[in-house]
Amino acid sequence: MKTLNIGICGFGGQGVILSAVILGTTVVTKRNMYAVQTQSYGSEARGGQCQSELVISEGPINSPTADKKDILIALSQPSLERYLPTLKAGGILIVDPKTVTEIPTDVKVVQVSATDTAVNLGNRIAANMVLLGFIQAATNLFSIEELLDVVKDYVPARFIDLNLAAVHAGVELAKSYGGTF
Amino acid sequence: MTADGQRQNSRVLSGVHFMLGNYATVEGALAAGCDFFAGYPITPANEISERMAERLPQVGGKFIQGEDELCSIYAIAAASLAGAKAMTATASAGYNYYQEGIEYAVAVEAPCVIVNVQRCRGENFATQADIMQMRWGAAGDHEMIVLAPSSVQELFDYTVRAFNLAEQFRNPVIVASETTIALMRERLEIPGADRIPVLNRKYTDLGPDKYKTFDAPENGVPDFSPLGKGYHGLYTINPHDIDGSIEWDPIVYEKLYKRITGKISENEHIISHTESFQLDDADIALVTYGSEVRPTLDAMELARNSGLKVGVLKLGTVWPVPETRIREVAKQMKAVITVEMSIGKYAGEVERVVAGRCVTARATKNRGIGHTAEEILEVIKGVRA
Repeated sequence: MKTLNIGICGFGGQGVILSAVILGTTVVTKRNMYAVQTQSYGSEARGGQCQSELVISEGPINSPTADKKDILIALSQPSLERYLPTLKAGGILIVDPKTVTEIPTDVKVVQVSATDTAVNLGNRIAANMVLLGFIQAATNLFSIEELLDVVKDYVPARFIDLNLAAVHAGVELAKSYGGTF
Repeated sequence: MTADGQRQNSRVLSGVHFMLGNYATVEGALAAGCDFFAGYPITPANEISERMAERLPQVGGKFIQGEDELCSIYAIAAASLAGAKAMTATASAGYNYYQEGIEYAVAVEAPCVIVNVQRCRGENFATQADIMQMRWGAAGDHEMIVLAPSSVQELFDYTVRAFNLAEQFRNPVIVASETTIALMRERLEIPGADRIPVLNRKYTDLGPDKYKTFDAPENGVPDFSPLGKGYHGLYTINPHDIDGSIEWDPIVYEKLYKRITGKISENEHIISHTESFQLDDADIALVTYGSEVRPTLDAMELARNSGLKVGVLKLGTVWPVPETRIREVAKQMKAVITVEMSIGKYAGEVERVVAGRCVTARATKNRGIGHTAEEILEVIKGVRA
């Protein structure tokens, strides 16, 4: 792997930035890799469009953002429409069919029922953790234990059980999707 | 979430982190011995105050939220004179208000560290447009030491160095941070405390009867006297004699300011820090600083891939201007191109130093976002043509 460019976009409050931060922390502190995370968002506390970029590499990273993403995770319809042009030709688009209704047909799409899964676990707010579990299993960039370890550091104590369960559920979804990217 | 998953309470958080740039600035300060911080809220510098408010009490330091910028800059100057290692942080619009306090800190030779997270006017967009203000903003004769980090790691490393230079030269030292790196999370390796060089304050060996507050050799730095030990300390912004008393004699004034400026301008070789990338066989040098170093290094690779002999001179310190190294490089080049995120400000300094030794050009961009490597490559190709 030379570098992997990941974009995550959605509404403020969906955990877009936290997801990128957890991924970055895991590869840097657990796998001794390099990562750069940047973000842009509206001034609304919740509901505005929100985007985070993560560049992962085995060596030092110069330019902190990439024009084209290898993986784009879109958690809302408006953000999908805005950021789809940033997906590299041949890149992978990950969407949650609950929050993205018009799914493009001309790119490789992976549908992850993150919101429904999180709702079944008791709180839709954990949908981003389902996605993180899915990404762990689909990329094998790090182990599930390493991811869980970082998640524990970042989520409030009273929500740890919910979030860990959501990560596990995401891993299971990836298994039924059928292996790695 | 306040500490990137860290819940430790020690002064030096040794280890590998994925840390926000503003937090890395704080950790650098603490590793260097910072024990006082005053600041007034402003984006994109707020995470510095936020983390200082949490971390300083953990390590026995003091945090003050000033009622404004003026309070904050004078608070750190005064804390410094009382013996503290002091820092403040703001962003461009707030930095405007600091100038009077900086003038005072220069005049009384109060070591302190000022972080300016540069942002576009009124907005949280990226820029390097304060590069001249950080040098020239304060009134009166002065020299400034300004460091320009380009990464989260360098926000840590350069902030440590800023504290050390402040103590060494008894002058305010500015960390020219930027929105780009301050709000970026990146790999940060904090070494063991025993591997971080920390320079502490030099106090006089003389007794209160012999000691004079501003007695120092030519281009030198006076020793401090300890507070509360019977020394007579007087620190005025007015022209002062070596004992600190106000003295309007033009000869005294001239001598004082020759020393205050000379201690920095005559020590460029000690203060300057540059890094060279593939300059040995290059005929075009890209001179750059801060976050613009990053796309510039990528542009160098692109240019090399298309057969152009391009190298990069990265300026870790921007003030004083690393004239000796820029001159050396210019002698070997056909062209020197300054890359910066402004309308083109520091380029004037580079061109002054190059002084006709080779062709000069500029890659400038001022629209709230840094250069892409491809944009810099276009300028290189234009110079080649």
